[in-house]
Amino acid sequence: MTDLMAITALGAVAPYEFQIGGLVIRENTELALASLSLGRGQGAPTILGTSMPDVGQWQAGPEVSAFWTAPNQWFIEGQGRAHEDFAAIVKAAAPDCAVTEQTDGWVAFDVYSNDGFKPLEGLLEKLVNIDLDGFEVGTALRTGLHHMSVYLIRRSDTHVTIMGMRTFAAALCHALESTAVRLR
Amino acid sequence: MTRLTGGVIDHETALRFTFNGKTYSGRKGDTLASALLANGVQLVGRSFKYHRPRGVLSAGSEEPNALVTLRGGAREEPNTRATVTELFDGLVARSQNHVGPLHRDVMAVNDLLSPLFASGFYYKTFMWPRAFWEKLYEPLIRHAAGLGRLSGEADPDAYDKGFLHCDLLVIGGGAAGLAAALAAGRAGVKVILADEDFQFGGRLLAETHQLDGMPATSWVTAVMAELSGLENVRLMPRTTVFGAYDHGIYGAVERVSDHVSAADGEVRQTLWRITAKRSVLAAGATERHIPFPNNDRPGIMLAGAMRAYANRWAASPTRHPSDPVIIFTNNDDGHRTATDLLAKGVPVTAVVDPRDDAPTFGAYELITGVVDDTKGRLGLTSVRVTQNGQSRWMPCGALGVSGGWNPNVHLSSHHRSKPVWDEALLAFVPGKDLPNGMIVAGAAVGQGTTAKALRSGMEAAVSSLAALGISAERIDLPDADDTAAAQTAFWHVSRKGRAWVDFQNDVTVKDIVLAHQENMRPVEHLKRWTTLGMATDQGKTSNISALAVMAELTGKSLPETGTTIFRPPYTGVTLSVLGGGDTGKHFRPTRYTPTHQWSASQGATFVEVGAWLRAQYFVQPGETHWRQSVDREVLAVRRGVGLCDVTTLGKIDVQGPDAAEFLNRIYCNMMGTLAVGRVRYGLMLREDGHAYDDGTCARLSENHFVVTTTTANAALVYRNMEFARQCLWPDLNVSLISTTDAWAQIAVAGPNSRTLLSRVVDGFDLSNEVFPFMACAELTVCGGLRARLFRISFSGELAYEIAVPARYGNALMERLAQVGADLGATPYGTEALGVMRIEKGHAAGSELNGQTTAQMLSLGRMVSEKKDSIGAVMSRREGLAQDKRRLVGFRPVDKSEAIVAGSHLFTQGETRNTTTDQGWITSAAYSPHVGSSIAIGFLEEGDARMGEVVIAANPLEGREVRVEVVSPHFVDPEGGRLRD
Repeated sequence: MTDLMAITALGAVAPYEFQIGGLVIRENTELALASLSLGRGQGAPTILGTSMPDVGQWQAGPEVSAFWTAPNQWFIEGQGRAHEDFAAIVKAAAPDCAVTEQTDGWVAFDVYSNDGFKPLEGLLEKLVNIDLDGFEVGTALRTGLHHMSVYLIRRSDTHVTIMGMRTFAAALCHALESTAVRLR
Repeated sequence: MTRLTGGVIDHETALRFTFNGKTYSGRKGDTLASALLANGVQLVGRSFKYHRPRGVLSAGSEEPNALVTLRGGAREEPNTRATVTELFDGLVARSQNHVGPLHRDVMAVNDLLSPLFASGFYYKTFMWPRAFWEKLYEPLIRHAAGLGRLSGEADPDAYDKGFLHCDLLVIGGGAAGLAAALAAGRAGVKVILADEDFQFGGRLLAETHQLDGMPATSWVTAVMAELSGLENVRLMPRTTVFGAYDHGIYGAVERVSDHVSAADGEVRQTLWRITAKRSVLAAGATERHIPFPNNDRPGIMLAGAMRAYANRWAASPTRHPSDPVIIFTNNDDGHRTATDLLAKGVPVTAVVDPRDDAPTFGAYELITGVVDDTKGRLGLTSVRVTQNGQSRWMPCGALGVSGGWNPNVHLSSHHRSKPVWDEALLAFVPGKDLPNGMIVAGAAVGQGTTAKALRSGMEAAVSSLAALGISAERIDLPDADDTAAAQTAFWHVSRKGRAWVDFQNDVTVKDIVLAHQENMRPVEHLKRWTTLGMATDQGKTSNISALAVMAELTGKSLPETGTTIFRPPYTGVTLSVLGGGDTGKHFRPTRYTPTHQWSASQGATFVEVGAWLRAQYFVQPGETHWRQSVDREVLAVRRGVGLCDVTTLGKIDVQGPDAAEFLNRIYCNMMGTLAVGRVRYGLMLREDGHAYDDGTCARLSENHFVVTTTTANAALVYRNMEFARQCLWPDLNVSLISTTDAWAQIAVAGPNSRTLLSRVVDGFDLSNEVFPFMACAELTVCGGLRARLFRISFSGELAYEIAVPARYGNALMERLAQVGADLGATPYGTEALGVMRIEKGHAAGSELNGQTTAQMLSLGRMVSEKKDSIGAVMSRREGLAQDKRRLVGFRPVDKSEAIVAGSHLFTQGETRNTTTDQGWITSAAYSPHVGSSIAIGFLEEGDARMGEVVIAANPLEGREVRVEVVSPHFVDPEGGRLRD
């Protein structure tokens, strides 16, 4: 175990959290990520009990979850496993696939609503140009947000994860917070 | 007070507001214009050019006259139309464009000088002396002309932006729009109904027509109640759809809190981008006036607006309740104003109608004739009516004018569709090639009766949904009036005197005649010569009248004369709302390096590098000039060890059985032969053979490479590689992904770098034998943290780059500085990095500027002939391969002189022009190692001119420096240091 102290994408010790109205925005610093790509002619593997979801989808599973990112490419998620060598775990489960460590490539903000999807809808329609009618539970997509590229994952009726490039974390955080504040 | 009874306002809720400092009372539901009229205020502003007293002309967004300045201080907003300003308690407004009080404007002298201000006068008058234009004429004209003034302060209000998606966007909430929204809403599709007004209903609120035997407002109330209850319908009042853009996207501004005394921070307006599968444009129509001499006095307004003020806002257009009203109309609709006003108890003495067969609809005198002059400087007092050649002056407190209605076709022509002339309607209606998926309904397409508007709106919705494969039921429509208003083509009263066509720009019939005489006949020339149709109203009440006058002068038909194509925005949009609320440093996102916190704590000055903020240099106590900091950092690296965050370089992970072959084709040099555990410098060419990016490529395992790119080209290289993978060579079994952000990468450079690193690696042998120059490895550091180590050097010193998961980057940097303190560990920034790479003769962005080749960079032999790669063949083409310019170094002959990057090189004694140009300086710096300014650059046959003195000319600053051509390697040309 290293004695170096990790900091969050926002340069802090503790994850960011912000609550306003019916919304809670919480930085998930414990989300481990690894990309998985199939080689030519390979079939999609099952990683620790999770099968690879279809285009534009997110798949929850017993140990890990996964979302589609590109043709023959997925991100595997390990909740609470950011301090592990998660890419090595995924690689061991799919030795023929190309796997890269992505945990610190991204900052993940979980946005929760305490009042159904409506408050989330109010926030998202200010941020991203997507038809929220089609953004059902289990959808994962990539889109632009304030000139940045983000992944959006609808994990439940009241929970959406917005994932942006780690080095843009402060700008993404500002966009989320200021937009939530303007919803007053 | 001239407040009437009834209307759609709340008579019980009084709202106080001020106009020009005087306090008035209005009612909830009033606009500023209706409240002023209800208080007997007719004079609300001064005209643009002649400073003529002006009053309210219209009751909508087409208003050219009643422009006021709202609020104050930094929140001051000029040129706001009083006719669409929703009244709220505490509203502060003032008139504009006058010197002194509104009723005694000193600038009104312009009106007396009007013969000097004919159309195009400034093109003719201010020609001489030429030098006077910028210093005298232009400031003078700008001061005299113009409308409201900006505060000059930053906008303190909050704005927002967002995106909406719908099946059907209905633009306009009048009869047609409501019927469309209701039909689509009941069909269950996603509907957005937007109206610029704060109340839905459009003209139904302004008319006395009945629907199903009930007041139209009852039907509006019932429909709104139903629509409000439909979850699939989004009602957007106070929302102007201002533009139709590509792919069914519409721009809209929602005025969120303009109608209340907003608290600080509350969003004022929101910019919406609405993606609609289909749209119904139900924007209604705008009434046109009839130009006649002195037709611009306060109290003269459009007849339809007069009716709206009486019926919707319970406001009489006169200053005193007993003042008589006269109507001047060429159509039956104008007569309706007379009957409605009479029903409200407003005295209407006459309707003047040029038609011989004009009917009478009520108890008023019908005069078959024209109004051809008026009196009343600050407010109308009388009009001259001419009938059968006999003129008489009639007392008059307000004159309603109706010249017919123009469909609001604006949004339908935003994609260049030309409106077409309808001779029966005497109006332009939407033409072909409308924005994709748009259907125009109601008065906007000339279906102006209430019954036709309702039906066309509903049918538009049904057709729109049918195009989406959705079958919508036709809804039951209420019984409504279906009598078309008869009208005649009567465009202006031809009499001596100034007859205004465009009120906002002070353009008269005379100006159009002059433009015709001066051959400014095409409508585009007419517009620019006279300024007709410009400014905030964009000629909504004047364009067609002007066309008609020009048609008469040219003897052509109106459609032959021309038409007007509209561009967004439909009405003015503030720049702040287009910004969407993100200003200053939040205007665009910033990228921070993983060691930003540590750098800040060390006194770093940061510099923008694309989106990144990088440490430029670290100022230490006692350093007063950036050069001191940079020189110290350079020497610290060359003598001890330095630390620099290089995370910003792009990192692309390349994996797969064909990774080596793929990289062979991407890089011009051989990469497939690279041994596992080794790094190689690589150069990428563009398809045209020029060099475009360089970096290192590390082979971590047989099928796994990590490519680094320059900071500037990280995204471009990745994009190009993906294009090559997907489109050029889909047969290669390779996968790519960016890992730039995932790893914090720190350069550890200097003779003590090995010693320093040995203190953090976990039992890894860093000896030259095991880990030589250009080696790479995956290892652990600081007690088990996975890391990647590359022995590469940009500075020319013994150097490494170490990468750890980004969250540990800050701590690793801190640790390296801490455990390396005795070794002289020093943070260095991009400036020192730049100085050292120039000292070493390494190319960077200035050398890889897209115009240089591998040969020019003295890397020509890197372009392998043993394999093909992107750009390789083109790099050998005639004309490019023969370029003899070579990258060399330069030192000033006089060591005290500085070489400036960008200077051009000339042979001594030669004249200096483009044909004798010998090259240019790409990068220059003060080298603390050399002790003088140094530079690198491209020189004709430079590699054969070592020792020659040439001129580095900087004609922009009138300077030249004699420089000696030297090797570009100012430091350790043999490369011993980095290999030790």
